[in-house]
Amino acid sequence: MAETTTIEGVTEAINRAAVEARSHGEPAWLAQRRAHAWSVYESLPLPTTRREEWRYTDLRRVLDLDALHLGSTEAGPDDPSSYPERLRATMNEDHEAAGHLVFIDGAVVHTDIRDDLASLGVILMPLRQAVREHPELVESHLATEAVPPEEGKFAALNAALWSDGVFLYVPRGVRLDNPVRVTRWISEAGAAFFSRTLIVAESTSQVSYVDEILSDDFDTQTLASAAVEVITRDGAQVQYVSLQRMGRGAFYQSKQRTLAGRDSTLDTLNVTLGASVSRVDLNARLMGPGANSDMLGLYFGDDDQHFDHNTSQDHEAPSARSDLLYKGALDGHARAAFRGIIRVHEGAQQTDAYQTNRNLLLSEHARADSLPNLEIEADDVKCSHGSTVGQLDDDHLFYLMSRGLSREKAERLVVVGFLGEVMSRLPLGGVVEKVTRAIAEKLRA
Amino acid sequence: MPQNEVIQGLELDEYKYGFVDEEKHVFRTQPGLSEEVVRQISAQKEEPEWMLEFRLKALQIYESKPMPTWGGDLSKLEETLDEIYFYVRPQDRMERSWDDVPENIKNTFERLGIPEAEQKVLAGVGAQYESEMVYHSLKEEWESKGVIFDSIEDGLKNHPELFRKYFGTVIPSADNKFSAMNSAVWSGGSFVYIPKGVELETPLQAYFRVNQERMGQFERTLIIADEGSRAHYIEGCTAPTYSTESFHSGVIEIVVNRGAHFRYTTIQNWSNNMYNLVTQRALVHEHATMEWLDGNLGSKLTMKYPSCYLVGEGAHGNILSIAYAGDGQHQDTGGKVIHAAPRTTSSIVSKSISKGTGRSSYRGLCKVYDGAVGAKSNVECDALLINETSRTDTYPYIEIEEKRSNIGHEATVSKVGDEQLFYLMSRGMSEEEAMALIVRGFIEPIAKQLPLEYAVELNRLIELEMEGSVG
Repeated sequence: MAETTTIEGVTEAINRAAVEARSHGEPAWLAQRRAHAWSVYESLPLPTTRREEWRYTDLRRVLDLDALHLGSTEAGPDDPSSYPERLRATMNEDHEAAGHLVFIDGAVVHTDIRDDLASLGVILMPLRQAVREHPELVESHLATEAVPPEEGKFAALNAALWSDGVFLYVPRGVRLDNPVRVTRWISEAGAAFFSRTLIVAESTSQVSYVDEILSDDFDTQTLASAAVEVITRDGAQVQYVSLQRMGRGAFYQSKQRTLAGRDSTLDTLNVTLGASVSRVDLNARLMGPGANSDMLGLYFGDDDQHFDHNTSQDHEAPSARSDLLYKGALDGHARAAFRGIIRVHEGAQQTDAYQTNRNLLLSEHARADSLPNLEIEADDVKCSHGSTVGQLDDDHLFYLMSRGLSREKAERLVVVGFLGEVMSRLPLGGVVEKVTRAIAEKLRA
Repeated sequence: MPQNEVIQGLELDEYKYGFVDEEKHVFRTQPGLSEEVVRQISAQKEEPEWMLEFRLKALQIYESKPMPTWGGDLSKLEETLDEIYFYVRPQDRMERSWDDVPENIKNTFERLGIPEAEQKVLAGVGAQYESEMVYHSLKEEWESKGVIFDSIEDGLKNHPELFRKYFGTVIPSADNKFSAMNSAVWSGGSFVYIPKGVELETPLQAYFRVNQERMGQFERTLIIADEGSRAHYIEGCTAPTYSTESFHSGVIEIVVNRGAHFRYTTIQNWSNNMYNLVTQRALVHEHATMEWLDGNLGSKLTMKYPSCYLVGEGAHGNILSIAYAGDGQHQDTGGKVIHAAPRTTSSIVSKSISKGTGRSSYRGLCKVYDGAVGAKSNVECDALLINETSRTDTYPYIEIEEKRSNIGHEATVSKVGDEQLFYLMSRGMSEEEAMALIVRGFIEPIAKQLPLEYAVELNRLIELEMEGSVG
């Protein structure tokens, strides 16, 4: 295989043979799709910092693809008592749910959905199962409209090598009163895991979805790669929440795209607390008139954590609204980059689009880079963006300390209050408490 | 749709400086850029050997750097550059008396109102025609205080030590492709020295005119404001409108020493066939203040980001930028502030108006290095869109390495609101008056910073263009 060794990103573990192994037993359309994705992957160079979107994350320095092996895909037993302690603990914190999916090391170990919802036609199942049982729904949406391999090196790699994922389908008019909860645990150090999420909400349906990934620290680099596709039809309402609480040594990468139809609401929240390196790409496409997206982000980095959020808001239809708020606090030598762009396409009149990134530097050595961009090609629009980098407000601290709080406690309170604004905009049951506790833990560390 | 007609009538871009003079020159190089051309320019100027070497080295750097792929559309520039004249010498020597300037050139500047302004409101005037300064004068009272205001060539001849100490230090040839080009073929521009403690009460002005078709102008300006001094320098630019493209690429280097205060104002009103790619940078020392007032109204494409390198404690940088992009124009402008010392402060305010198929882009950088404790910066960008086909972009880069700093950026984009128009019209204003008032209100924060005659000119321009626009 002399010729493959010269292609960037092709390694002993990550190669065409691995893609073929994954295709084994799959329908022809999927095998073809994987093969195509692999060709795209081979054709694309690994992005360098010369590319605007990768300006602040040097992949050659922070990712060692050669050292990775592919994670196992064998599912363990569906026995909650055998779950790792932290996985059980975090699941116990969750409130009521419409259904669950639990992953351990990339394989689904548990699925449930409330009977009444299943009888209404709601589908929640592992993606591999959905490929077999609902090909008519999966084939048209998977890695086509939302995150096709052509989107980039990681999107192509994920489309070629995904081992399993989540499929959630909500039929027309069905409204779920409790969130769908997905919990993922990763323990195999040095492995690469590729997972996909596909959510389709038919017109006027409603669902909220919380996806949490966690792990202990790794002594060798471990990759968790996600591709997330969320599609809302006319008038549907979807809330997508991602909580990333991986241990150090993890490289977390998530490529997300939301497609919002006419008068639909498609909100997202990305919480980034863990991993050594985390890169999230989120593209919100407002495709139907009257579509609405709140895009929220919260991050808290310490030690030498490196977070990179790259967002875009594409207004392709008139009268749509998007509002982005990403807030982060950085301690130790942590570094965060935010790059966001609002693109108002020609003809997208009466657009309201906003973008705000605020950073709090808690230490001498922390660093924040912020690039909030606008590209506007329609005239009847309201757009704004704002970006700030600052330190803790002495007046706030002084006030709290004059009320008898120690400096530490006062600082903690101010940070929690600063970040809390984000969660108050998407107050989903259980999420706020969980995130607040995780932040408090980090502040104590 | 009467409102639409009002909007269409906002002909800000009707160009009144497009007249052409008869072409007369005493020397010009072959079209295009080559080592031969560089050697000829240097020989024409009878330069010392080190400057020729400096130019040749810069030419190599220019050739080794790729054409930028960001910003405006430069895809046709290489073709243009092969056709243009890099050096055109309009007369044999520079004059100190207005009466000695050749008749045709004098007429041009008289039509532009320069001599009148000199008498009334300026401390000194320089005028560049094609590649050379044709006129330079400084009022006696300032000359006697040691102020130097000269053509850059005379700066090199008459003040070789001062010149060599600073030339190319603020903007090295290798800074970017066009600073390299300028370093190879520079010609014309000013050399300014303000001695310690001297405060100029009225501005110095340099005026740049390109008359020849397919001409490249490469002015090079070096300004040193010594400790505690204070001065204001204004440059204005115009050219006739030809169907072929012309090219202007300046390099402006400014050193603002401890406690000095320097303001540099540009009112760029090039014709719409001009590529205007300029590098402007100031090195700002302890407790000094640098202010850039950057008005971009003309040109086909402008890429220009005046910058302040705040290298001394307590240094302050201020950038006010106004851009107007009419049909077919792209103004890719903004500013850069680099905080490299404690307690440095800066502010960038940018206002842009896009009309017709015009596009204005704000591109800026705010960088705070580790150790720049107490740095503060605020960036504000507002864009006004007049038509459906207009476009605006904002690309601010914010890079912060220091915790003890406060940085903010805000931008808004809007169109002239129906409510605003309706309100003013309900108070008895015509649509055109209302529109003019709103646009004027939008640029007011910048216009009020301009020297009076420019503020009046800017307001008059906007008002004039709106007259008779409702049918």
